Amino acid sequence: MKELKKIKIVVAGPFAAGKTQFINTVSEIKTVATERKTSGAVEKNVKDYTTVAMDFGKIRIDDEHELYLFGTPGQSRFDFMWEILGEGALGIIVLVDSTDPKTFHEARRIINFFQSRFPVPVVVGANKQDLPNAWSPEDVKFALDITEDEGIPVIPLSAKDKEDVKKTLLTLLEIIRYSLESS
Amino acid sequence: MALTGDLTTFSFADILQVLAKDKKSGVLLVEWKDMIVAYYVKDGEVIFARPVDKVFRVYTDRNFEQLINKLRIKKEDIHKTIERFFLPRLEQKEGIFSFTPGFIKYDSDVPIRYPVEELIIRASRSLTDEEVERKISDELLIFEKAPDADEKVAKVNLTEEEKKVLSLVNGNRTVADIRKESGLDRLTVDRALYGFLAAGIIRRKRRERVQKPSITLDLLAKIIEKIKQL
Repeated sequence: MKELKKIKIVVAGPFAAGKTQFINTVSEIKTVATERKTSGAVEKNVKDYTTVAMDFGKIRIDDEHELYLFGTPGQSRFDFMWEILGEGALGIIVLVDSTDPKTFHEARRIINFFQSRFPVPVVVGANKQDLPNAWSPEDVKFALDITEDEGIPVIPLSAKDKEDVKKTLLTLLEIIRYSLESS
Repeated sequence: MALTGDLTTFSFADILQVLAKDKKSGVLLVEWKDMIVAYYVKDGEVIFARPVDKVFRVYTDRNFEQLINKLRIKKEDIHKTIERFFLPRLEQKEGIFSFTPGFIKYDSDVPIRYPVEELIIRASRSLTDEEVERKISDELLIFEKAPDADEKVAKVNLTEEEKKVLSLVNGNRTVADIRKESGLDRLTVDRALYGFLAAGIIRRKRRERVQKPSITLDLLAKIIEKIKQL
């Protein structure tokens, strides 16, 4: 049987930003998860299980290609996995919990990490816009120090909403198309 | 949309940065342990501060001119409220903040003694090691001066150390280089860089190197079409 070629997009972001949900929403297979019970007291207050290696979902493109969405673990103690997952990625989506400003700095750190190692297009998803107290995408952008010349759009979304997730993926893919056409 | 958060994880330098970049107007309420203070913000500048015993009182006085008349404060003395209720609290880390945009009507210009850039730099001087790491997270980061850096610096009273750090930002030196060449201690350098970044005096240098996507346009078009159909 002919092996399908894999195309990779990485979904990164701080702890509890909604990465697994994002992938679940559009994946054609049940997301393959590597979850363990959360260990830290603070983390336990947020959710019971967390990704420790990676999640992945996939979308069949044609007879030869599959698009893989790889979710990174959120805690920075697993950042060795970011390096592994970033290799060969077409682009990076960094999700941020718009209701939790204490994670914004971590989101910026993740952007810096990927920008310095993998100079591929990046899109920020301002997740949980359906919740009260969500910061607007514009304010998230200011809080993350994203300047115009960085070319990183901030997309408002709820990772539970399929159309929102599609819009975020399409924004990234359009930037990649622009990059291809202009190179 | 309100901006809410906790000062332990989102410092005053960060809050002011967001207010300044979007030139927001409204009221920033901070619930300290000992009191609640309302900070009035006009076009990103903190122009007035007053303690309130009950939060609803802030929302009953929507006209700024009438408010300061009612409180019998002269316009030329407004800055004293900043000196009393804001500057001494820049070092305090425990408090809940909430910014509500709009709803205050400002009739005329208010003199600004403490421009927001000055307040950001002052706030950054009391950041801890852990706090500066949030923005200055990598010693290989490279910063460059913003196009309007001189205009912003003119509004700020920089210390000699801060001037030295700023003089070393040139779009080539890394954070590690600046720490080394300045001869200053690491926290002083990082606080200065944090403040400059938050105040918009410097910015991250964009990397010129962009990797060409390893995919054909035809395949990319197929992926786009597939995602649209999901």
